[in-house]
Amino acid sequence: MSNKQSRSHGILKTAAIALAAACSLQFVLSAAQAQELSLKGKRIGVSIVGTDHYWDLMAFRGIQDEIKALGGEAIALDAGRKDQQQIAQLQTLIAQKPDAIVEVLGNLEVLNPWLAKIREADIPLFTVDTATPHAINNTTSNNYNIGAEIALQMVADMGGKGNVLVFNGFYSVPVCKIRYDQMKYVLSSFPDVKIVEPELRDVIPNTVQAAYSNITDMLTKSPEKGSLNAVWACWDVPQIGATQAAEAAGRQELKTYGIDGSPEVIKMVMDAKSPAAAVAAQQPYEIGKTSVQNVAKFLAGQKVPPFTFVPAVLINKENAAVTGKPFLDAAEKAGVK
Amino acid sequence: MTATTMKAAGTDTAQSEKQPRVQNTGKRLGAAAVRLGAIATFALILLYFALFAPGFLSSFNLINVVEQSAILGVLAFGMAVVIIGGGSNVTEGGIDLSIAANMGLCAAVFATVLQAGYPDAVALLAAIACGIAVGTLNAVAVVGLGILPLLASLAVMNIAAGAELTLTQNTVVGAASPLLAFLVSGSFLGISALAWCLILFSAIMLVFIHKTTFGLRLYAVGGHPEAARAAGINVPLHVGFTYLFSGFCAAIASVLAVSRLSASTPGSGEMLLSVLAAALLGTVFSRRLVPTIGGTLLSVLFIGFLANGFQLLNVSSYWVNGVQGALILLVVAVTSFARGPEASR
Repeated sequence: MSNKQSRSHGILKTAAIALAAACSLQFVLSAAQAQELSLKGKRIGVSIVGTDHYWDLMAFRGIQDEIKALGGEAIALDAGRKDQQQIAQLQTLIAQKPDAIVEVLGNLEVLNPWLAKIREADIPLFTVDTATPHAINNTTSNNYNIGAEIALQMVADMGGKGNVLVFNGFYSVPVCKIRYDQMKYVLSSFPDVKIVEPELRDVIPNTVQAAYSNITDMLTKSPEKGSLNAVWACWDVPQIGATQAAEAAGRQELKTYGIDGSPEVIKMVMDAKSPAAAVAAQQPYEIGKTSVQNVAKFLAGQKVPPFTFVPAVLINKENAAVTGKPFLDAAEKAGVK
Repeated sequence: MTATTMKAAGTDTAQSEKQPRVQNTGKRLGAAAVRLGAIATFALILLYFALFAPGFLSSFNLINVVEQSAILGVLAFGMAVVIIGGGSNVTEGGIDLSIAANMGLCAAVFATVLQAGYPDAVALLAAIACGIAVGTLNAVAVVGLGILPLLASLAVMNIAAGAELTLTQNTVVGAASPLLAFLVSGSFLGISALAWCLILFSAIMLVFIHKTTFGLRLYAVGGHPEAARAAGINVPLHVGFTYLFSGFCAAIASVLAVSRLSASTPGSGEMLLSVLAAALLGTVFSRRLVPTIGGTLLSVLFIGFLANGFQLLNVSSYWVNGVQGALILLVVAVTSFARGPEASR
C-alpha cells in the first residue's frame, strides 16, 4: 500500500517536473519568440469604431503600446462611434498603404465591404473582436466559452427556473451574436427559464441611463417580488444601469449578468449586497497586444492561426475577492478607475 | 419682375442703413480683411498638407476626399439654401438643425423599404417623400406658426430622431440593391460614382441658386424680407420652400449614406456639426458674407481635407472635431463682427 502510494507519488512527481520543464521550455520559447518580434520601420494602421467604453479604450491602448514597444509606427484612428467617419478613415488608410491594418470592433455589415477592399489592396488585415473572413487573424476572448459560462452561472443562481430580461440591441456586432446565441443554447436545456418578450434594446450612447429606465419600467410592470430574476446583457455597461435600477427599486433578488469586466462592474460584483451577480472579465489590453504580436509574426513570415484567444475570467459572488483584484489593479495601472 | 430689381432688393443691407459713409467703408474694409484672412488660412492649411502630408496630392487621395465629402456636401447645400432664404443672422435667420436627423430617418426608411423587398424606385420615392415631409413640418412651424427656425428645427430634429429609433429600434438595417451597388462601385473617367454625385449635384445647385430668377429671389428674401415683400415677392412661400428643399437634400444624402455604409445605421445626427460648419464657413467666400454654392462646396471639401490631412500627417483624429468647432466659432464671431450690429438685429 505504502509502496504503491510512494510509487504513485513518484509518478506524480516526475509528471510534475516534466510539466514544469515543459512549461518553462514553453516560456523560454515564447520569450525567445517575443525577442525576435519586431515592427521596426513598419507602419501599422489601427482603426477603432469608438473608445468611449473601458474595453475599447484598453484594447486601443494595448495595440498602440505594443506597436511602439516593437519599434513600429501606429496610425491610430478613433472614429468616435461614427460609422461614416470610420469608413472614411479606412478609405484614406488604404491609400496610405500601411504594412498592416488592425481593425477593432464595429458593425460587420457596414465594415465587411471595406475590409474586403483592404485585402484587395494587398494590405494584411488583422481584427480584434471582429470575426470576418477577410482578416488573417482575429484576436479575441473565447466568446463561445464566455457566453456559455455566464449563462450557466445565471441559470445556476436562478435555480433553473424564472424570468430573464435580456438586452439584445447589438446582435449585428459579431461577439454579441455569439454570446447571445450561446446563452440561448444553454437556456434550451432549461425550459423553466424564460426570456421576457419583447427583449430590451441596449443603446449607445446613454447606455447606462437607458438601461436604468428600461429595468425600472419592467420592475414597475411586474411589481411582485421574485417575478423577475435576472438581467442579461452581452456587455457590462447596460449591467451598470440594470444593477442600479434593481438597487433603487429595492429588488435585490433581480440579479444582473454581463461581459467585459469594466472596473465599475467588478467592484459591484465584489460588493456582497449588490445585485450584480457575475461578469465575465476580459483582458482587452492583452488582447490588443496579442493582436499586434500576431501582426509582427505574420510580417516576419511566421504562420499565424485564424484566431487567437486571450483567456477571460468569470468573476462571481463566490470568487470575486480573489479574481477581481488583478483586473482592478490592471485598470488602476492604466489610469482607468 | 426683372433680375436687376431682385438684385437691388438683395444687395448688402449696409447700403440701406442710415449710417455715416465712413463707418460703412470701415466696416466693409473690415469684412474684406476678415474674408481674405479666412481664405488665406484655408489656403495655408491646404498648402501645409500639400507640402508635408505624404500622398496628399495624389489623384487617388483627392478623389477619395471628394467621395468622402459627397454626403456632407449634399446636406450642406440644403443648409445653405435655408440660410440664404431665411437670412444669415445666426440666431434669428434661417437654419435647419433637423437636417442630419432627417437624413438618418430617410436612410432608415430607404433601407427598410428595400429590405421589405421593394425595388430601388419605390425606396427612393419613399425616402424623398419622408425627407420632404419632415421639411414640411419645419416649414409649417417656421412660416405658419412663426416659431424661431432655431427652435422649430430643434424640435423637428427630435421628432425625426425619435421616428428613426422607432422604425429601426436603434439597430443596423442592412440594404443591398442595384442602385446602391452602382453608387459604391460605379466609376466613370476614373472618378467614382459617389464623387460624380457631388460634382453633378453641385453643378445643378450652382445653376439653380445663382443663375435662375428663383435663386435671386431667395437671396432677396433672406437679405431684406421687407424690400422683397415690397417688390412683390411671396416671402413665406420662398422661406417655406427652403425647408422643403433641405428635406429633399436630406433624402438624397441618405441614399448616398446607405450606399456607403451598406446599411442604415444609428447616429446620423452626429453630422450636424459638420453640416453647420460647412454652411457657415462657406459664407467667407462671398463678399456679402452670405452662403453661396461655390463657397459651401469649397468649405465642404476643406472639412474633408482637414480630416484627411490630419490622418496623413498622423495627427490624432481627436483634433479634427475640436478644430472644426474652433473654425465655426471663429467664422461666426468674425462675420458677426464684420456685419456689425446688423448681425445681432
